[in-house]
Amino acid sequence: MIPALRLEGVSFSYGTVPVLANVSFSIASGERVALLGRNGAGKSTLVRLIAGLQWPDQGIVWVGDWDTRDCVPEQLAWRVATVFQHADQQLFATSVRDDVSFGPRALGVGEREVQRRTESALEDVDLTAHADQHPYDLPPGLRKLAALAGALALEPALLVLDEPTIGLDRALRARVTRALLERSAASVALLVITHDLTFAAETLDRGLVLDRGTLACDEPLPSLLGDATRLEPLGLAPPPVAALSTALDLPGRPVREAEAARELARVARGRLAP
Amino acid sequence: MKSLTLDHASFWYPATASPALRDVSLEVGPGEVVALVGALGAGASTLLLVAGDLAPRVTGGRLEGAVARRDRSGIVLPTPWTQVSGMAFTVWDEVAFGPANLGWPAHEISRQVDRALERLELVPLASRDPTTLSGGELQRVIIAAILAMDPGLVLFDEPAAELDAEGARTLWRLIRVLAKEGKGILLATSALDALPEVADRVVWLEQGAVRAVGTPDVLAEAAACEAGLGTSVATVWRDSELPEPAPLTIIDAVRRWR
Amino acid sequence: MTGARLHPFTLLAIAGTLPAFAWILPTPVGGAWTAGIALALAASRGLRAGLWPALLTAAPFWLFLLLLHDVPTTIAIGLRITTMVASFVWLVAALEPARLVEAMVAAGRSASVAYLLAATLSAVPVLKTRAQRIVEAQRCRGLSPRGGIAARLRALRALALPLILSALHEVDERALALETRGLVPGIRRTPLAPPPDPVLERAARWALLLACLAALVRRLIVPSPT
Repeated sequence: MIPALRLEGVSFSYGTVPVLANVSFSIASGERVALLGRNGAGKSTLVRLIAGLQWPDQGIVWVGDWDTRDCVPEQLAWRVATVFQHADQQLFATSVRDDVSFGPRALGVGEREVQRRTESALEDVDLTAHADQHPYDLPPGLRKLAALAGALALEPALLVLDEPTIGLDRALRARVTRALLERSAASVALLVITHDLTFAAETLDRGLVLDRGTLACDEPLPSLLGDATRLEPLGLAPPPVAALSTALDLPGRPVREAEAARELARVARGRLAP
Repeated sequence: MKSLTLDHASFWYPATASPALRDVSLEVGPGEVVALVGALGAGASTLLLVAGDLAPRVTGGRLEGAVARRDRSGIVLPTPWTQVSGMAFTVWDEVAFGPANLGWPAHEISRQVDRALERLELVPLASRDPTTLSGGELQRVIIAAILAMDPGLVLFDEPAAELDAEGARTLWRLIRVLAKEGKGILLATSALDALPEVADRVVWLEQGAVRAVGTPDVLAEAAACEAGLGTSVATVWRDSELPEPAPLTIIDAVRRWR
Repeated sequence: MTGARLHPFTLLAIAGTLPAFAWILPTPVGGAWTAGIALALAASRGLRAGLWPALLTAAPFWLFLLLLHDVPTTIAIGLRITTMVASFVWLVAALEPARLVEAMVAAGRSASVAYLLAATLSAVPVLKTRAQRIVEAQRCRGLSPRGGIAARLRALRALALPLILSALHEVDERALALETRGLVPGIRRTPLAPPPDPVLERAARWALLLACLAALVRRLIVPSPT
């Protein structure tokens, strides 16, 4: 099966400043990948290359079987939906519903399909109740969800999100997690840039770490998040649940809250038993 | 005298029937770090605007109750790109913008700017053009810019939102240093797990009113965890239905576990 | 590139008197001269940054005039409008807002007023960057900048609306944010780097203004055939 996304030896510089050097990885459908790294490591540039806004200086970015150099961004929108940071500044329609339906309509799918996709996307992020409101009447957190719904409505094979949880409280972050897990179960591939390693632990299962433009790590997230000695040189730190698992030596070193709670309860019961 | 005192403060935004702040009383003493926690829309940002004399003076609206400040306040908003002056060629100039507006003599401006740049680890970026900075770098520049005005009361609204892990750690450490220098700090943040080490007191806001006040131990209590405002450690402990009281931090958990 | 190191007041004087001359001097020769100078100044900032925006902005006015007036009147008014537009485009490209504020503060003017003026002028590049980001985001949602009239109108709406809405929404936030940076009325701002103002430039500014006034007086007193 062709991977949803594949980078082959991708290098890129802004003028004379090198930003990415020889990055290679691939993401299969249904995979949920976190793109991690310090500020300035090249993550946002990578997103721009995947969206087709820029072409790699060397190497190839494959979205499905399309080479991004043969495409324009509006074409790539058929396969990859990107939500950039500050996407809440790009809402423009008079209602949330109109804004969410903009994408599928621009793709040219039939009106009935547009409506189906819009309602489905709104439901996924629980915004149906606010669908008729003006986007700028919503608080910034809900505007971010509206921007996410706009991308979900494109029903792409690959979803690329740049910091989707900044400014969201716990309840809204949980909504995002739920929406993404549902899509991934439907074989959508996910690539999420995030500083929020707790969110990454709850939502994603593979970690790519960029360090000064090169790919320093590509491995399952749970083992990576628990390993402080690996994370520190990359400017990262284990999220609290992972650190707790390590400190209490919980079997399986769970990194998700629910799993950690289960293990904790199990071990506690085991201690009490004679 | 306290750095900040709010006495039964209620605030309505213009043309809004329901108050954004309801009968809020709180104090921040010099050298104290008080954290505001709550769900989105609970009123933390509004409270900071009132504390910083921006509401109702600049935002409009109506304020009831009393607000008293001992010294000049500085506020760091969650949107650094709106707070940037837009008129500085370099990061140094950007940080000097505030002090220059205050009319300080040039040598004092230099001293404050250099100190602020050092504290935020911005010295390597001092001659960069602010428009070329990333979100996290800009956030640090704005924090430096506000600190360079040497406020006695520093108000932070989600200051770590754009920062990566290292940047956030530097910031929390800096906040403790500022407190030690005698500044009063009021901080709205959703980074609950950082609070046990950063905050002296936590104020839980719910729909504009104070629901609870206490030490960071508040974040380990049942009510907070149920509202999604517990630390990760406390939340996991409660979910596993282990006996009370739930530990607040990993160190507490390890101690309890033994 | 002209204007790079001239004193900000000199830039303002030039950008202000050129359109004034365009209206005062007899047409079409006066207008042709001033429009030519203004376009040359705009072009000196580069084709993309200066000349093209000037021509593009002036073009609709010419079309409009042609619909309403005969050719001589169109030329007369069109040249004047071109002078105004090109002067403004040149000013926005050449004037660095920070230098303007420093100059005004050094001259004893209020920092807040200076800032307001500077912010208006610096709004253009900020909006340009944001417009670009919006274009990119909308393209990634499938918006094609090509296509028929209907498609292009839809594209324009998808670009203009978010730009305007977010800019307006931000005006409030920005006003609030600038208050936080110490712009308190009544305090004399410390000039950090006042731009040098050589005597020659100051003399040139006065000369320009006086020439403008003289031309105006001559125009009012001496009856002219136009």
